Amino acid sequence: MELVATSLFDLVSEVIRDTKGIGGWKEIAADSSVGLFLPEIVLCGTILTMLVVRLFRIGEKLDMFYVGFVGLVASLLILSPWRLTENPELFARRELFTGMLVYDGFSVFMRGLLFGFGILFLIFAKISGIPSKYDSADIYTLVLGATLGLCLMSAANHLLVVFMGIEMASVPSYALAGMQKRNRQASEAALKFAVYGAGAAGIMLYGISLLAGLFHTVHLPTLAWQISNHLPQMETSELMVAALAGLMIMAGLAYKLSAFPFHYWIPDVFEGAPAEIGAFLSIASKAAALALLVRVVVGVGTLPADVAKSMADTKAVAEASEVMEGTVWISHEEPAHVHGHGESHERSGSPSDKPADEAKVISPGLKAARTYMAKLIALIAILTCTFGNLAAYGQNNIKRMLAYSTIAHAGFMMMAVPGLLAVAERAPDVAASAVSGIAIYLVIYLFMNLGAFAIVAFLRNAMGSEQIDDYAGLLKSCPGITICFVIILFSLIGLPPLAGFIAKFAVLAAVADAFRISGDGYLMWVLVVGVLNTAISLIYYLRVARVMTMLPEPESRTPVSLPLFSAAGCYVLLMTIPVALFIVRWGSLHQTASAAVDYLLGP
Amino acid sequence: MTGLLAVITVSHYLAVGAFFFVTGVLCMATKRNALGVLMGIELVLNGANLNFIAFGSKYLRSESLGLDGQLMALFVIILAAAEAAVALAIALSFYNAHSTIDVDQGDELKG
Repeated sequence: MELVATSLFDLVSEVIRDTKGIGGWKEIAADSSVGLFLPEIVLCGTILTMLVVRLFRIGEKLDMFYVGFVGLVASLLILSPWRLTENPELFARRELFTGMLVYDGFSVFMRGLLFGFGILFLIFAKISGIPSKYDSADIYTLVLGATLGLCLMSAANHLLVVFMGIEMASVPSYALAGMQKRNRQASEAALKFAVYGAGAAGIMLYGISLLAGLFHTVHLPTLAWQISNHLPQMETSELMVAALAGLMIMAGLAYKLSAFPFHYWIPDVFEGAPAEIGAFLSIASKAAALALLVRVVVGVGTLPADVAKSMADTKAVAEASEVMEGTVWISHEEPAHVHGHGESHERSGSPSDKPADEAKVISPGLKAARTYMAKLIALIAILTCTFGNLAAYGQNNIKRMLAYSTIAHAGFMMMAVPGLLAVAERAPDVAASAVSGIAIYLVIYLFMNLGAFAIVAFLRNAMGSEQIDDYAGLLKSCPGITICFVIILFSLIGLPPLAGFIAKFAVLAAVADAFRISGDGYLMWVLVVGVLNTAISLIYYLRVARVMTMLPEPESRTPVSLPLFSAAGCYVLLMTIPVALFIVRWGSLHQTASAAVDYLLGP
Repeated sequence: MTGLLAVITVSHYLAVGAFFFVTGVLCMATKRNALGVLMGIELVLNGANLNFIAFGSKYLRSESLGLDGQLMALFVIILAAAEAAVALAIALSFYNAHSTIDVDQGDELKG
């Protein structure tokens, strides 16, 4: 966005005010951009500490695990996502750093999820011992660096941040995938990951450049505003370019989501890289990619209430100034943003004065953009989910099977997005419930998948194999772990008393609601495919459970010792208990997720 | 001769950018040498950068992207450098394990 200032001094002081809030030079206002960005700044500080402390003698003795752990806990405490249910008004939508990032309940929720995952991941890596003492600093630095990029992705409000977040998360991931030295498979996986990833990012960037050229902006709410004004009058050739740009951007997002035509790297990377890295890519990276998808479709497909309101207010002004060429865009943009900032501050101060007349301006341009995105994403979600489940059948390597299961789950979570788009204007509360469905799914998915990958990693340490057939008869030698694994597998299927059922139910219920209200036929297809896929996935998860519990133990195997009462066993238990008992306390997660999406669409 | 004297417009820049993009994509798709593929990626990124700079210039169009265009190009240059550094390191590690950087030799993982 452009800052409109009469002089350089005004420009600088405006940027400073936006960054650190009003006040003296030394104080930083709590609701200023820097104040709200503090968790990420602490994370940056942690990364720098990790790098610098190694230069000194003390750093050679210090285990970087503790530095990373303290840094992540501090970030989580500063963010304090548990305040979401206590005081939702604190998390009203607000733009940071002149519109680059957005701060709202959803970004707080997602960042809380990412930091929480980071803490659990560090403990997991510590217990499984994958980073050798010499490597550990590098690996923790890369993981924290990728987490920083994922945080930017989940708060993106500008296409530059979208691209930067993806790159900042991907580049450390490439290195993580190839961190095992002199390992043929790991180096092959990393090369494929890096080449495909960089290619997809390049194509996405070209799409962004086309969109930027068509609509003269890269700021998402302004983009939505431009689309609503200009899309109906566009020529066919321009519409073609817009559709192509949308496809190209979708290609980059689909790559991060491991969605259907761009999924091929996931099985290779998961098989080549250690299970710990698989856990990171399948949970944190997927969570942020989904958050980014929601950000992009909400940003492009809907007008934030403050922008919509000021648009109605300034319509007359804008029409009048249309005559003066050259100044048109500045006068269009300026009221929207100045108004946006002013109102968000005002709203955070006195939350009771929510304007009652927030009647949304129905715009055919935005509706067309939304329908295009909804149909595209519905198609991709259906293909992704089905393909992931079908390809998981013939796998013998457990990590490869979990990779296809990750693809299928990503497709399932994406199914909520067409539902969100279909009713974004007509029933914002139903649309918000679709996003809260994704949020609930992601939290449950975190426990399920981290548990599954932890068991795979611990079994690899105990018996040196990752083939499903080698798991035969594990029930006898390590019953505790086997029972935990079976519970997690049943939850991944989505069987009723377990957490996975709640996750799938939340998403499907939101899509069904959206279908009831909008009556769009493609949502029906999404629903049918979602239910069918749950049935398809039954077989390959059950196969693993059958091999572990029913088949006899091979004679040749050395005894596997993995007791439940060890660090590893306790960690697995810690992941399994929430999965098994979630149904008891699921109301509080639902409340938190609903509070998180309160301000995503509308006031 | 009149073609040579025509005023340079956004379209000319876009044509060069599109040429870069297509060359880069072809390079990515056909090269078997990992370094060739990485060069293709750089071409794609630079094609997009050229677009950003052309869209950002206020001399070419009255409704321009403004400073955002130039800034995006700067950020992309930095990100492309970071990406190239990591990708080259990975290519080196691939070479250490396989004694070649022919991407077709990486065919152990499939299914």
